Amino acid sequence: MFTVVDAVLELAAARGARDVEVYAESATSRRVKVFQQEVEQLTAAQRRGLGVRVFRDGAVGYAYTSDLADAGLDDVVRRAIDHAAVSDPDEFAALPAPAGEPADVHPFDERLTVATDTQRISIALAVEAAALAADPRVKTVEDTIYADGDGEVFIASSSGLRRSYRSNQCYAFAYVLAEQDGQVETGHSYVLGRALEDLDPDACGREAAARACRLLGARKCPSMKVPVVLDPFVAAAFFGVLSSALTADAVQKGRSLFAGREGQRVAGELLELDDDGARPDGPDCAPFDGEGTPCQRTPLIGGGVLQGLLYDTYTGRKAGRASTGNGLRGSYAGLPGVHPTNLIVGGPVTPLADIISGTDKGVLVTNAVGVHSGANPISGEFSVGISGILIEGGELTTPVREVTLAGDMLGMLGSIRALGDDARWVPGGSILTPSLVIDGMAVGGT
Amino acid sequence: MDVRTTHRDLLQAIIARTLRRGGDFAEVYVEDREGLGLRLEDGRIEATSGGREAGAAVRLLSGERTYYAFSDGVDEAALTAAADAVAAAMAGGAPAGLSVVMLGDVRSAPDKHPVKVPPESVAIARKAELLRAGDAAARSAGAEIAQAMVGYGDSRRRVLIANSLGECVYDDRTSVRFSVQVVARRGEIIQTGMETLGGSAGFELVDEAAARDVAVAAAAKALTMLDSKPAPVGAMPVVLANGFGGVLFHEACGHGLEADAVAKGASIYTGKIGEVVAAPIVNAYDDGALTNGWGSQAFDDEGVPTQKTVLIEEGRLIGYLYDRLRARQMGAAPTGNGRRQSFRHVPIPRMTTTYIAPGEASADDVIASTPHGFYAKSLAGGQVEPASGNFVFGVAEGYLIEHGRLTTPLRGATLVGNGIDILLRIDMIADDLEMKTGVCGKDGQGAPVGTGQATLRISEMTVGGTA
Repeated sequence: MFTVVDAVLELAAARGARDVEVYAESATSRRVKVFQQEVEQLTAAQRRGLGVRVFRDGAVGYAYTSDLADAGLDDVVRRAIDHAAVSDPDEFAALPAPAGEPADVHPFDERLTVATDTQRISIALAVEAAALAADPRVKTVEDTIYADGDGEVFIASSSGLRRSYRSNQCYAFAYVLAEQDGQVETGHSYVLGRALEDLDPDACGREAAARACRLLGARKCPSMKVPVVLDPFVAAAFFGVLSSALTADAVQKGRSLFAGREGQRVAGELLELDDDGARPDGPDCAPFDGEGTPCQRTPLIGGGVLQGLLYDTYTGRKAGRASTGNGLRGSYAGLPGVHPTNLIVGGPVTPLADIISGTDKGVLVTNAVGVHSGANPISGEFSVGISGILIEGGELTTPVREVTLAGDMLGMLGSIRALGDDARWVPGGSILTPSLVIDGMAVGGT
Repeated sequence: MDVRTTHRDLLQAIIARTLRRGGDFAEVYVEDREGLGLRLEDGRIEATSGGREAGAAVRLLSGERTYYAFSDGVDEAALTAAADAVAAAMAGGAPAGLSVVMLGDVRSAPDKHPVKVPPESVAIARKAELLRAGDAAARSAGAEIAQAMVGYGDSRRRVLIANSLGECVYDDRTSVRFSVQVVARRGEIIQTGMETLGGSAGFELVDEAAARDVAVAAAAKALTMLDSKPAPVGAMPVVLANGFGGVLFHEACGHGLEADAVAKGASIYTGKIGEVVAAPIVNAYDDGALTNGWGSQAFDDEGVPTQKTVLIEEGRLIGYLYDRLRARQMGAAPTGNGRRQSFRHVPIPRMTTTYIAPGEASADDVIASTPHGFYAKSLAGGQVEPASGNFVFGVAEGYLIEHGRLTTPLRGATLVGNGIDILLRIDMIADDLEMKTGVCGKDGQGAPVGTGQATLRISEMTVGGTA
């Protein structure tokens, strides 16, 4: 692939573009979906393409192509230069010149390369079987998926940068519907790893079933102001929204509730929040980001105080500091943007059982709907639909649903009183978080 | 490269190759997609981006099983590799009886969604002017406008779909979208407003006047909401405004009418054809053929012509939205709703433009006859569980209704409820049908969709506010 990448750099130079970066990728993936113990869908994919970013006096143009033959390369270079001619100049936009060596991580496991379709199918079947066997009230497993991917990225630029790495990953997922007296509740679970041996299909199926079944019989509850326990799935959804507000991009553009709060207290004293793109067990682990900058650990919140933000090259230059290795790309068809990698929620933990038994009245929230649409990342106000289980007299009692949880993000962070001992990775946003105990939340019901 | 010239003999050979170990339906999907995106923020046009991707997918159906392979590249090698990948999945199978296909003439319908000015014929600098016009209009709307983000995008997708039924369809699709998001600030209070314009049409859709209108509407929302108070909590009558209010029907009901959820029993509408699922004044449709509609195409992504499908008639459930696979499974005719985001995605049943038909009342009457309630002028999006029908929606712009009049703007409101409950509780529908554009996400695939409705009232619904 570097041959093609070099050809693009030469074509760009021949057209007079001086500062040019080429990002190429080549990947394969497989996905199996099963339903009622039959294969429903088997997908095999190949992906290959490249993107060219041209900087001309601070104006940026980007173009991409899947056509790696000469005509396609010539076309993509021409487009990138044309696009740069339309963009407005920005003194902080410049070709990245990453300092430092890539992080010493190898998110690739040879064992996954020999996986067969038969093995993939049997994992998916085992996940579904475990969910169906877990509880007689499981009506159906609407989605059971096994998927894996194996890809290589290449970055090179006119500044002499030349880096590549290979990574792979596999996961299984189940989405369960449970039914009782005509009421349907849902639950899901994931397991992920870099080899089939890492996946525990039984655990995945059982957890998805348990999460659905525990909500059966749920009713509305009266409106109240009580402590809530957000389980890791729900906590991760909130941190997912918060993390976009922790990017320098959002802060610099005035689109973040954290704007102007660096060094200030923004959360309960025990909360630690880090972004760590070099964490070996993290789903988003990589040696460098989409601009070639080494991945690293970046403290975001420590002792409840906002310690830092996430930067790519552009936002770093604007703030007069280095990129934190958070210039990530969705694919070769897109520009890098500032995004979190692996988010790690830490701090002193309390056994979850003690948290529940020490709560006289509250709600264990196991499901939140609308966190992304119902939360305003600028103002931090949110109102989301939740389901969960009432905590009464130190015990989990009745399931509840069709109630809302409302507040504002900073208020909620500030009211974090305890962290559970149940930290786990929640994929989607690649977040490692325990349950969070938050005081005085507005639960809206009847 | 032109997908249209992909050789018929090659397509036939690939279909035969795909079926060589069995299966009862094979399809080749070839796509050449080009796109351009411009974005303005902070008064500056940011990195302009665009490009071209071409790829092919081969699909094989065997009973209820789907085998799918795709790759970047549309040459014979890519198509052959994809055909072999799906055929390999049928290990041990025998050749299908229908492995010899004779493709019929290529069908296309270039006049269905006319493009007067192809976007690629317009200089990028001209498109940039529209962004500046939108920015200027948004910023001149008031001193409290803190930020404006203006976006323009155009795309052209040329697809060729051939299958073992002998059908061969070519569809050339152009779409344009323009959007403005505005941030207004007063001290610590920050509010946003968003407005969009889009269609399956050419550059004629947008000009300076249109750009200004979109920007002014977005700015007005943000400015209005600066005066808002926290929304109350509780059950009350809710009036949904025309246009964006249709998002609620899309999310809370529409997804449950997509045949994949129905076939799996994962929809509250499973087995309810002919039953009362809404108030008798409710008629609802999905129309993928709506001329130049943002959610429209001449053919769906399986080569089936799009159509207007009756979903609910006088409160009774009439039909579901099918792709080929679910139509086969459920013994129904495909409705032209088999859509895919690109060659990298398996087609699934999707809405196109979905709407509740207008009624007789005027919008003013609907509000005037509501002594106390909540008026949702624009929704921020939401989520629904098709299995239960439970949904949650954020309200981007809402007002209190007091004594039949709109009074205080309210912020932070969400609407919580159940799809069937709210349709049964619609007790007034006005005559002001309006369509809005959106991008719907499902199974990891984005699809342009239209949503619409006239102003209507739901007799009771739970409003979750922060007050």
